[in-house]
Amino acid sequence: MTGEIHKGGCACGAVRYRIDGPPLGAAHCHCAMCRKAAGTPFVTWAPVKTKNFSITKGNLIEFKSSQSGVRGFCGTCGTALTFWAARKPDYIDVTLASFDDPEALTPTHHIWTGSRISWAHMNRHLPDFPEWTPAEFWSALKDRT
Amino acid sequence: MSETTHEGGCLCGAIRYCVRAPHPGVAVCHCSMCRRQSGAASVPWISVPVKNIEFTVGYTSIFKSSEKGERGFCKVCGTFLTFAHADWPDDLDVTVGSLDRPEDFAPTHHIWTSTRLHWVPDDGLPAYPETKSKE
Repeated sequence: MTGEIHKGGCACGAVRYRIDGPPLGAAHCHCAMCRKAAGTPFVTWAPVKTKNFSITKGNLIEFKSSQSGVRGFCGTCGTALTFWAARKPDYIDVTLASFDDPEALTPTHHIWTGSRISWAHMNRHLPDFPEWTPAEFWSALKDRT
Repeated sequence: MSETTHEGGCLCGAIRYCVRAPHPGVAVCHCSMCRRQSGAASVPWISVPVKNIEFTVGYTSIFKSSEKGERGFCKVCGTFLTFAHADWPDDLDVTVGSLDRPEDFAPTHHIWTSTRLHWVPDDGLPAYPETKSKE
């Protein structure tokens, strides 16, 4: 167990969180729901172990965006903070840009690229995955570090 | 003369809007407030004369993000939708990602690149360290 800690929160300060332990990494998600919710062409997520994620101030407002997915945001300022899916309950995705240090991780790949906007060229040298990040990709990433 | 309209709204459908004749240009903002609130690396915006935007379903909740800035979002699903600034009261900025056809609004320039993240590379479009003058 490393002593790695990340802190973050929303734009207005009503919601703060803490992550104890290293995130799996960071991925750019191009799905249409992320795009709408954020108002941006894609959203960069850092998956962390659910047991390592804690809200230290305020509360998340939850929006069930699909049969399996729940999005957490700040009810005061709207900041997009988390995504959790019943299909992978042991992990919760946290928006990298809501970290106090969004440069703590460097994104390594793209997901849900079938929905990519044609002009969303950023980081095109990174690998594309048509849906979720394959488990073996995370494993390989962990082995490299 | 008929004008193209552009529709958009939030993820859950509680807010829908219709825009006509936005100002030319799509600015990608790298400021820390936009980053935080969207949870994304940067936020592309169009700017629309207030008289040319109509909220057809629902209305935005407002977060006052600075002395002069107000950000609008959906209180049901959190979708980040608008930005208004007291210095430009006749315009309202709208997030490109909330438009139903974001494909139609390719970025033209970057603003607030003084706070661009290191993993967001320069793509060659004009870049301004702070805001681009509206003049």
